[in-house]
Amino acid sequence: MSEPVVSEVKRETGSGTDLWRIIVSPTIWAVHFLASYVTVAVFCEKAGRAAALAPAEVAVIAYTAAALAGIGWSTWGLWRVRGRSLTDDDFEYEHNTPEERHRFLSHVALMLCLLSAVAVIYVAIPMLYLSSCR
Amino acid sequence: MGQRGTRPLIVTAACLVLVACNPTQSALHPAGDEAAGVAWLFWLMTGVGAAIWLIVIGITVYAVLGRRRPTTEWFADRFILVGGVAFPTVVLAALLVFGLSLLPSWTEDEAPDVRIHVRAEQFWWRVGYELPDGSVIETANEVHLPLGTTEFVLTSPDVIHSFWIPALGGKMDAIPGRTNVLRLTATRPGVYRGVCAEFCGTSHALMAFPVVVLGPEDFAAWLAGEALPASGEADIFIANGCGACHVVRGVSETGSVGPDLTHVASRSTIGAGTLANTAENLRRWIAAPDAVKPGVHMPAFAHLTDAELDALVRFLGGLR
Amino acid sequence: MANEVTPTAQAARLEATWARPPGWRMFSDVNNSAVGVWYAVAAFSFMMFAGALALIIRAQLAVPDNDLVSATTFNQLFSLHGTVMMFLFAVPVFEAVAIIVLPAMLGARDLPFPRLSAFGFWCFVIGGVFVCGSIFFDAAPDAGWFMYPPLSTEQSGIGADIWLLGLSFIEVASIAAAVELIVGVLKCRAPGMHINLTPLYGWYVLVVGGMILFAFPPLIAGDFLFELERAFDWPFFDVRRGGDPVLWQHLFWIFGHPEVYIIFLPAIALLAMIVPTFAQRPIAGYSWIVLSALGTGFLSFGLWVHHMFTTGLPAISLGFFSAASEAVAIPTGIQIFAFIATVMLGRVVRTVPMLFAIGALAIFIVGGLTGVMVAVAPFDFQVHDTYFIVAHLHYTLIGGMLFPVMAGIWYFYPFVTGRELRKHLGIWSFWLMFTGFNVAFLPMHLTGLLGMPRRVFTYGPERGWDWLNLMSTVGAFVLAAGFLLLVFDCVRPRRAAAPRNPWAAGTLEWLAPLPAPGYGLRAIPEVGSRYPLWDDETLSARIDRGEGLLADAEEGRRETLVTTVLDAKPLQVLRVGGPTWMPALAAAGLGGVFIFATWKLWLLVLVSGAFFLVVLLRWLWTGTAEIPEKETKDIGDGRRLPLHSAGPYSTGWWAMFITLTGDLTAFLSLVFGYFFFWTVHEDFPPSGIDGPGWQWPLASGLLVLGGWAATLAARFANARGAMRRARFLLAVGMLTGAGSIAALLAGPWLAGLDPTAHSYPAIVWALVAWIALHLAVGLLMQGYCIARSIFGRLTPRHDADLWNVTLYWHFTACCTLLTAIVIGGFPEAA
Repeated sequence: MSEPVVSEVKRETGSGTDLWRIIVSPTIWAVHFLASYVTVAVFCEKAGRAAALAPAEVAVIAYTAAALAGIGWSTWGLWRVRGRSLTDDDFEYEHNTPEERHRFLSHVALMLCLLSAVAVIYVAIPMLYLSSCR
Repeated sequence: MGQRGTRPLIVTAACLVLVACNPTQSALHPAGDEAAGVAWLFWLMTGVGAAIWLIVIGITVYAVLGRRRPTTEWFADRFILVGGVAFPTVVLAALLVFGLSLLPSWTEDEAPDVRIHVRAEQFWWRVGYELPDGSVIETANEVHLPLGTTEFVLTSPDVIHSFWIPALGGKMDAIPGRTNVLRLTATRPGVYRGVCAEFCGTSHALMAFPVVVLGPEDFAAWLAGEALPASGEADIFIANGCGACHVVRGVSETGSVGPDLTHVASRSTIGAGTLANTAENLRRWIAAPDAVKPGVHMPAFAHLTDAELDALVRFLGGLR
Repeated sequence: MANEVTPTAQAARLEATWARPPGWRMFSDVNNSAVGVWYAVAAFSFMMFAGALALIIRAQLAVPDNDLVSATTFNQLFSLHGTVMMFLFAVPVFEAVAIIVLPAMLGARDLPFPRLSAFGFWCFVIGGVFVCGSIFFDAAPDAGWFMYPPLSTEQSGIGADIWLLGLSFIEVASIAAAVELIVGVLKCRAPGMHINLTPLYGWYVLVVGGMILFAFPPLIAGDFLFELERAFDWPFFDVRRGGDPVLWQHLFWIFGHPEVYIIFLPAIALLAMIVPTFAQRPIAGYSWIVLSALGTGFLSFGLWVHHMFTTGLPAISLGFFSAASEAVAIPTGIQIFAFIATVMLGRVVRTVPMLFAIGALAIFIVGGLTGVMVAVAPFDFQVHDTYFIVAHLHYTLIGGMLFPVMAGIWYFYPFVTGRELRKHLGIWSFWLMFTGFNVAFLPMHLTGLLGMPRRVFTYGPERGWDWLNLMSTVGAFVLAAGFLLLVFDCVRPRRAAAPRNPWAAGTLEWLAPLPAPGYGLRAIPEVGSRYPLWDDETLSARIDRGEGLLADAEEGRRETLVTTVLDAKPLQVLRVGGPTWMPALAAAGLGGVFIFATWKLWLLVLVSGAFFLVVLLRWLWTGTAEIPEKETKDIGDGRRLPLHSAGPYSTGWWAMFITLTGDLTAFLSLVFGYFFFWTVHEDFPPSGIDGPGWQWPLASGLLVLGGWAATLAARFANARGAMRRARFLLAVGMLTGAGSIAALLAGPWLAGLDPTAHSYPAIVWALVAWIALHLAVGLLMQGYCIARSIFGRLTPRHDADLWNVTLYWHFTACCTLLTAIVIGGFPEAA
């Protein structure tokens, strides 16, 4: 095995991607989910079960776009970190420096952005197939 | 759906080997469109699921027991990525879409072939058939429907119940304060069985109902007969206060807190699917309903003499 | 002896400081090694009780038309089985294991709030005894473990109230656990244990701690409404007076679905520690697992309506929840694949824990697959409320929780007792359990599809379910036999001692000689990898010699280190509580409040409540925010750390923040209730009932702002040294706070709102009561600070009390303002 590359990246303790950052995208998913469900539920209850979903559909599509944009923005910020582990150039992140920790949390956050985006899309799929409040 | 014919055969075969099961209350012996769609999906998902389980556990057991060189990190990474991420994401999305396509429409623009109002009570079923002119013929504890689409309108005055005919399709809750609608499409004539499927109190287990699916003409004939009032020597019925709770149209229509008995003799069960409708069981029921069905709201009539019970049962037996 | 610095003297001082009190006084101990074991024993006792109930259920259902037990008894049996298993076993057992194992794993001496854990434990035991005992008086809850109204709210008898009682205790214990675990994992790790080096078990319990804060509070809110309906006839779920039973279902399942992940994740976390040990290599995909645990935790909150698929909600609503229910399988699956990858990459040592781990995966995956099936709503329409669901839930719970916990018991038994379990008994118990379980529950998938609903006390012979049920019964008894064999092995008298680190594991909890001593680690190591014992073979010997941090207990105080969140840099020496009866007494007081309320003995409720308050205040006064005798302390290696901190860096502030987050979620659930009623009613407020007006709520809001500002100003004044002014400001804060309460109550009172008339006045009064109670607690806190200041326990330098109280006021003021806007402003706008 080749010598592990320990680059001279100095990082302050405590700086960089933190725990709040990694939950930004899942939180966006949660807000999107709640907003979509509440909008549709209140709309259908008030408009009656025979109503067409169109107005609520517009709202949900808007939420979806906003959520994906938000997740995308978060992803972009994390993508710029794009660091592999300082020890073995993989995604295990076993080294014990603040820089390694920063890369680890950025990687976790990035993958969570992807998962959140997939989950947002999953939740929006029913809108494509159902068109009334029945 | 060409396999629809073979699935029930396989299940029946398995049943006969193992359990001699009764297909009248089985979701795996569909007699309706909704049940058929779900049964087919079930077999598909079971097959795929079993395959996935075998592969995953097979790999695990082999990894634990097998004498081999440990895998490379590259392979393990791919394993997690493909098996844990890519494959599920695609398969689950496909399953979601397919499942959405199976969601029934509970209210349709198209009118159903018949609309039946079901009021679920502790522990029986008030069943009302809506005629074309909007009037409702009330009966209880047994459901007749024609081939084709039936719309059930479900309510409850007391607690949450759930209306379920497994052979025809999924269930729908009857929730106090709400009116829920369930559509089922029956495709095979026969006698099936429905149950209450939400715990509703002491005798929740004893709240069932026979379901009779008839051809359209047979159903129309049955409904016409059901609409007719009863007749008979009703003194014993009224004298003992039965009329305070039970309606027998044409004879006693004072109280309707309990099940309608106008054509009770034509039903196959009494006590909401609990006992076969025989004279012996009727006697047993009237004398001590609580012994048959704990928590039932009907009071016991243990004070009746044998002669009185005989007369009552004879009267009820005449209510076809 | 007192001031010698030799390793022997140090060790002796540590030993003495952390020693268990002798005799019956040992129950006043709060050390995690004691409390955790009691917690585990209690949880398993309740579990065996619930298991016995299940065996009676299975005996009744073994043959058709059976009359072994009556319908009423049967209904209590299944309700209690579910309630006890879910609330008195599944959640407490994870708390118990975490309390035992987590500190040592993280390189700490104890959790940051040992007395809080003890308090949680005593609450749990008191509640559990009551709930389990009820069946012997024919008074057990009998409407299922989720007790749907209107059946449960309108039935006579005390069962529903006992159920609420038990739940109240568990809710308290769970919030306490969330506080402990979040603060413990984030702030009490060994120096150098950067967050990417934290054991996966730590990550998992952190996620679960966070989930508890958002899952349990909706249940707390629901229970609050349920209790108000049972005790005072406020019609939240009574349709005749504007209530709606579906509100309960929402509140319960917003709790109930994440709850099962709260149960599952900490158990899988055990596998994350066990599998690497026996694969003899680090876990594969550490970052995958971390992100999956987080992802599962979040996504699990989007599933709850899948328990309500048959309630007649619009298809689009069902579609959202179907989608999320499918989505959650992705991160769940990733974790499993990561464990399997670890096995593939390693050379597996065949041990009993590994056997249970593989068995767990085999069983859980079936449950996960049937879960994916029932996530498809149309399929669920058929199998909901049938034995198919009984099969699904047992496959996921037993595969996802029980079997991993069995593996954990086997694995950590030497850690706790210093002895090993017998391998051949372990193998026997595994195969009995595995076979018995599958024989019992696999047929249930078919039984359900053949039409057998849940919760039926009998079935007819013509149904054709005889053989299936008989098989399930036989399997259940075999499962029980296997479990009892394990219990026997755990309790029978011992023989040989276990060697040190018997599994050759790599994480810190195996550093100590076995059984682990009361003080945990002889000295706190500096950590540089995920598997310190594997990467540094000299570590054990060095720590034994005391060559680490905090190797002594010179002042005779129990201490552990507080470090920074991300990079675990040492921040503070935290002095944690020692043996005391306060937690047990407080639990007894609080217990009295709940228990006497069940029987509506209001005077005794007040007396118990007063007793609880007295104990609590004494506990706080004597045991928290203490001013240390010196500013800093030498922790070894030439470093000095402060002994005190206040504000956002202090563990006490964190505890307050975490508790208030849970409290906020409960409050928001009540607000959700208000808007739920608005959604389902044409007119809300209903015509004929006026709202409380906007004037009184406005006054209340303004007054609370005053109280809040005064409290905040008091903290600033105190910090600047103006202690008299601070006390004065606190007094002003108390007055305005009291005014706020009065104004808030005046609104509905003067408008003549009768909470028994309709759900609208009921929910308004419920919100008002909640806030009034919280404001009253706020007043108590302000008064407490005044007293602390007068007696010199609150100074400009040491002002932790004020920081925590102002934090409380931030939350409470916001909630008060929101309440004022909702009850005062919304009726005007609507």
